[in-house]
Amino acid sequence: MAGKGKSRWADDEDDLAAEAQRKREKEEKKRLKAEKARKQEEENAAREAGPSSAPREGPARDDEYEDRPPAKRRRLSPERTAPEVSSNPNASSKLLRFEGGTFGRSRSVENYNKLNDIEEGAYGWVARAQDRDTGKIVALKRLKIDPKDRSGLPVTGLREIQILKDCDHKNVVKLREVVVGDDTTTIENIFLVLEFVEHDLKSILEDMPEPFLASEIKTLLLQLASGVAYLHDNWILHRDLKTSNLLLNNRGQLKIADFGMARYVGDPPPPKLTQLVVTLWYRAPELLLGATRYGRAIDMWSVGCIFGELLTREPLLQGKNEVDELTRIFELCGLPTDETWPSFRRLPNARALRLPPKQPGHVAGSSIRARFPLLTSAGVSLLNSLLALDPDRRPSAREMLEHEYFRQDPKPKQEAMFPTFPSKAGQERRRRKQTPLAPVRGQQAAELGSVDFSGLFSGREREERGGGFSLRMV
Amino acid sequence: MAHMTNPLATPEQLYQRRSYGSLPTELQDVILFATQCLTQAAGILLQLPQSTTAQANVILARYWLVEPFMSHEFSDVSAAAIYLIAKVGPSPRSPRDVSNVFAYLMSRSSSFFRSPSSPPPVNDPSSYYLSDAAYQAIHERVLATEARILYALSFNTHVSLPHPLAITYLQAMDFLGVRKETISRRVVEYLNTALLSPQMLYLTSQPNALAVAAIYNAAKDLGTKMPECEWWEVFDVDREELGFLVVGMRSVEGWVKKMREDVPRMKEGMITRNDIENELRRRGLSVWNGYGNAMMDMEAEVARRMDERVSEA
Repeated sequence: MAGKGKSRWADDEDDLAAEAQRKREKEEKKRLKAEKARKQEEENAAREAGPSSAPREGPARDDEYEDRPPAKRRRLSPERTAPEVSSNPNASSKLLRFEGGTFGRSRSVENYNKLNDIEEGAYGWVARAQDRDTGKIVALKRLKIDPKDRSGLPVTGLREIQILKDCDHKNVVKLREVVVGDDTTTIENIFLVLEFVEHDLKSILEDMPEPFLASEIKTLLLQLASGVAYLHDNWILHRDLKTSNLLLNNRGQLKIADFGMARYVGDPPPPKLTQLVVTLWYRAPELLLGATRYGRAIDMWSVGCIFGELLTREPLLQGKNEVDELTRIFELCGLPTDETWPSFRRLPNARALRLPPKQPGHVAGSSIRARFPLLTSAGVSLLNSLLALDPDRRPSAREMLEHEYFRQDPKPKQEAMFPTFPSKAGQERRRRKQTPLAPVRGQQAAELGSVDFSGLFSGREREERGGGFSLRMV
Repeated sequence: MAHMTNPLATPEQLYQRRSYGSLPTELQDVILFATQCLTQAAGILLQLPQSTTAQANVILARYWLVEPFMSHEFSDVSAAAIYLIAKVGPSPRSPRDVSNVFAYLMSRSSSFFRSPSSPPPVNDPSSYYLSDAAYQAIHERVLATEARILYALSFNTHVSLPHPLAITYLQAMDFLGVRKETISRRVVEYLNTALLSPQMLYLTSQPNALAVAAIYNAAKDLGTKMPECEWWEVFDVDREELGFLVVGMRSVEGWVKKMREDVPRMKEGMITRNDIENELRRRGLSVWNGYGNAMMDMEAEVARRMDERVSEA
């Protein structure tokens, strides 16, 4: 280009010539584009006028159909050669074709070359591998099978496979196939072939020297909420949302992973769901209080915990056990009252709960505002609603997407503009995580027993008020 | 959309099953029909919802398009299918319950697959009592078969049934002169009968087509007036597929009647692998062919025959 090397503000003939040249090129492009569009339109019209014109169907569906090859009837014997349907002049209406794919045996894991281990944790072994045919990089996750388990292949693993197979969303990790070990006389080695994603959010948070920018947090939360909204729209509860189960690729895309706890639910939710779900630090208060009838709100609580963790790079509520977790929740969100959570008294473990008597004059309310002094008030209102003690008051994932927080400045950062991080996926051994593990099926649900919460806020009266470094009671 | 679609059999799979140098077609059909009936009977005794049992029927039919019939005992495949589907669904059943139910259905005390005219069998509890050892053996086989089914189907246990769609379609239509209960009952009967069809209708058509065909048949049976236009197109079914399914669904009853006459064995309890082997021997067909071309099975069969010869000598 002519202008190169000179000052950007220099205004000479070279610049003018270049400008004119650019303009010409632009116009030429425009013209070509218009012509292309016109041709396309003509073609479409010709096709429309052809044998198939369906007034019955809406324009939206028509458009969708134009892109695809004409639907052929399924042939039921491979011997016949000519598909006799195309010549049929009576086939005048367009019918929706339902494609459900086919079925057949699993392929062998030998179709993949193992590259390196990513992780070996309580929930199994994960490795990075390469497809021998296509060269694509994938993650292989081995299904953990307990040979002593007399109930056969683990139902959690089967549910995870089924749910992932049904899902297709950009914020949910993709299951490509399920492969088995080479010896198929007994099926013992089962591997999930998942799309490979470079990072998990947990280790990024642990390693980053500076927290995420507000704009980056908004992008991550939006993606998380849209993934969760997709799951909830499809009647799926994840039941183990936490930062180590959220993956992030180098293009700034967040993917929800690990569906070992997930299941389909109906509406109303089935009674007697297991309360042994969600890793302790992300577990909603109604689960801790022993609810067996719960719904999408438990995932939204976890989203709230993740929001807090993104802000501080530290898990928000690191309880040592169920009682301690509940204590921390009440410290952060305030004590449940008949106004803030009308139905909590009816939960199984709530009967044993002794709460400090109401003190006239001050309410032991939420201290979220005080804990995140730098968060905008829209951010606080979102976090407050996600961490509402009463599950009915938490927003749905769809409602969360509409929240004002995401419309305020700073605007969510574009995914592509996300900073990249050195990929650690297995190239070096990860630090052991200190997050407690997801609960194990069949475990005894923890009885809270008769816990005395009356001492929870008892120290507060003695706290210095004003000035100093005391807990603020907002 | 996943809730409305099923994976379907490929033309190659259907063709291969018919032309496999293995079992004669009518024997395949009898095995499939008998095992589907057994699964339904077990579903009733296990007090499973029909939605679960019907899914097990579909999984079973899919499995036998991928794996040869003779590689496992038929009742084991049925038990494994029902155990697996119940396990991943909303109403799991314990392995002990499943084993007990199948032990009973396979015993001489059960009236399963007996001629309705003959007197009911004497109830002899010892004929279906499962000792610990016998239970362990059944359990072991069911788990191995369960894994085999999953492998054969690439771990895809998804089945969409046409029943809810049919009810929705019925609500969209207005059949004058017939009570809603009457016509919906008939529709569900057609859909459940189609599960047993040796034509494997659930593997060749999507749920919407099955639902429309069942409605068409039910309306015909009850003599109610259907819309004059090509109403099935509203539900995205073309005339040809509808015609095929209507005939397929209607033919099950006649086929079963004929089979009961042709194959007297169908009145003497559930058919086993042994029965099929005997029938093949009677026809002078080689038995091990039916195991498919897996080397392992052939070797096992040769070993078994040699054992037989040793014991004869």
